[in-house]
Amino acid sequence: MIRLEHVTKVYGETVAVNDLSIEIEKGEVCILIGPSGCGKTTTLRVTNRLLEPTSGHIFIDGRDICQIRPERLRRSIGYAIQSVGLFPHLTVAANIATVPELLHWGKDDIARRVEELLILVGLNPVEYAWKYPSQLSGGEAQRIGVARALAADPPILLMDEPFGAVDPLTRERLQAQFIRIQQELKKTVIMVTHDLDEAIRLADRIAIMELGRLVQYDTPETILSRPANKFVHDFVGTDRALKRLSRIGIGNFIRPCPSVKTSDSIKEVAAAIGSRRSVWVVNDEGRPIGWIDQSRLSESVTARETIFSGDIHEIALTNQATLREALSRMLGQGFKSIPVVDDKARLIGEITLHDVEAATADGEA
Amino acid sequence: MVRRLVNRNSVAITGAIIGLFSLPFGWLTLKSSRLAAGTGLNLWEAVGWEGATVLLVLWHACLILSLSGKSRRRSIILGIAANSILVITFLFAGLAANHLIEQAAPFARVSLSAGIWITLAATYILIFASRQRLQDSRAWRNLISWGGLVIVITLLFTGWFNDLSIVQEFTGREARFQQELLQHIFLFGGSVTAGTLIGIPLGIWAVRSKRAEKPIFFIANITQTIPSLALFGLLIAPLSALSFAFPLLREIGIRGVGPTPAIIALVIYSLLPIVRNTFVSLRQLDPAVIDAGLGMGMNRRQVFRRLEVPLAAPLILEGVRIASVQSVGLTALAALIGAGGLGWFVFQGLGQAAPDLIILGAIPIIVLALVVDAVMRTLVRLATPKGLAGGEP
Repeated sequence: MIRLEHVTKVYGETVAVNDLSIEIEKGEVCILIGPSGCGKTTTLRVTNRLLEPTSGHIFIDGRDICQIRPERLRRSIGYAIQSVGLFPHLTVAANIATVPELLHWGKDDIARRVEELLILVGLNPVEYAWKYPSQLSGGEAQRIGVARALAADPPILLMDEPFGAVDPLTRERLQAQFIRIQQELKKTVIMVTHDLDEAIRLADRIAIMELGRLVQYDTPETILSRPANKFVHDFVGTDRALKRLSRIGIGNFIRPCPSVKTSDSIKEVAAAIGSRRSVWVVNDEGRPIGWIDQSRLSESVTARETIFSGDIHEIALTNQATLREALSRMLGQGFKSIPVVDDKARLIGEITLHDVEAATADGEA
Repeated sequence: MVRRLVNRNSVAITGAIIGLFSLPFGWLTLKSSRLAAGTGLNLWEAVGWEGATVLLVLWHACLILSLSGKSRRRSIILGIAANSILVITFLFAGLAANHLIEQAAPFARVSLSAGIWITLAATYILIFASRQRLQDSRAWRNLISWGGLVIVITLLFTGWFNDLSIVQEFTGREARFQQELLQHIFLFGGSVTAGTLIGIPLGIWAVRSKRAEKPIFFIANITQTIPSLALFGLLIAPLSALSFAFPLLREIGIRGVGPTPAIIALVIYSLLPIVRNTFVSLRQLDPAVIDAGLGMGMNRRQVFRRLEVPLAAPLILEGVRIASVQSVGLTALAALIGAGGLGWFVFQGLGQAAPDLIILGAIPIIVLALVVDAVMRTLVRLATPKGLAGGEP
């Protein structure tokens, strides 16, 4: 879809991008990452001809972009930047309408599109369309920036640290929203970031750059488990095993597990526990409400008396969680297993520490 | 203690004290002829003790109001009181002049004296102090700034001041006054227009090119430091040489004296504020805004028209406003090199030692500057995009 061939960009004495070749598949999120000054932003900016490469070629759908007029090219590529760059004299609606207006869309089409996009990024159109950028919070401005980039439904999106200038909590939300939008729209995205966790969370492929050169271009899993050289190894850090866990959903690791109801007798509980150390207790709707330890069994006669009822919402995971979250819960609570619930908070199984360890070991191998 | 001091309206207090000081000064001067020495009349001689009491009470009221604090309500009352003093003072002056002229010799003149001019200054200090507190309401601000002046000008047109010498000076030279007023407007308006047309491109050039920036500001700054009178004079020699060498130039009006050197000098003076504001307005634009515009597919022209112009316009127009107000005053000097304008009356008056003639030129210049300032402020406000308006209501 997008192919950079031997792209080099020289500023005076410094070589910002050095013989870079990379290919980004349609519908994939490619994240450029590296220490500052590694040429990642330059790479992004040659892709929509905000900068002209000193040498080399860039192809989009097989077409050399130097044959496309820069303005036309850019109108077909969404562009979102860290400092957002919303136009302060225009309303949110007019900001989002920028590219459709440049493309001479009809008034009604633009209005409809603006509304659609505000809903897509989770802002109420009635409330936000007529606000001015100065009336927005940082997170809201970032979302409008993304909405504006998506306005003319471009197949390609270039994003330069789009979630950089906001607090960590807001960034987390914006990232989750990005994942949701990307699953829906399947854009081809090139994103620049310096936040490795963000890259691992969002990328289909990560391109690690150093001094203008591409060092490794691979899936996050591969980069974490098989760093190409010492630079990448150091860059991803010593906690890369932990980072890798955040790429792995718990879906494949859920084991069926026994459960008991509060009304069950001790005998039934004992049968359910068997050789286990404990068993999850669910209410009549099947939602976990606590657990029973094997050691407590002898002391009581009914299940009700033996239940430990911790804050089960703090403990249970939904089936969309990652192994990293599972591990974090286990360590936090001191458990060797964590219950997993479905959308309606009903118990569907559990994740065990043993499985997490096994997954980590697989990656190392 | 400190709070009380801070809470007092020190500008208004100053105004009220100056106002009280104006009372013992001479109020009117009666002369047997236009150029004869006159006899001074103080407030109570001119308007009787009843009139003097009214003004005395009003000024004391202003002083007490300004000492008691600067709440919004006090400011409105203070502003209205100041305007009342202004109107009453001129009402009395017209009335007294009429009374005096009827009893005096045929060529007698009655002119305004120091007391009235000080009163005028003091009332405007109060009005200024009052409108500072009324930023939130344009209606009150305008009423207090202009109310008294409008009434006095209305009185002027009804003939209330016809027996004052300044009006007599005017009626003797009505045609000349109109001509010089138009000439004044032509001189400053033309040169500010030219200054804008040259200054904005120069400012844009200075932003776009590092090489151009230094020399442009060097020249603009240097010219600003040349004394205005000197610049008018300095232009005489080269321009007369030019017109002497090329008779064609002389035919289209380019000579060493007259409007040409005046306009050239005025254009040069109006350049700095316009160039500087254009430069700053474009320089302070958020680069991310321009980058986003380009990145989304605007061409250079669209970035200029859709982003740079609307975002820079308020500050550029602010520069034009400063240049305009400055030019209205500087244009008075143009009369010295034969370019005419309201300055003509000022210099005629200086030459003949006729203060009324000086005032006939000076007051319209001040009023003109105030009007130009108000018009340009409105333009700046209209040009400020809503999203940028911030504090301004």
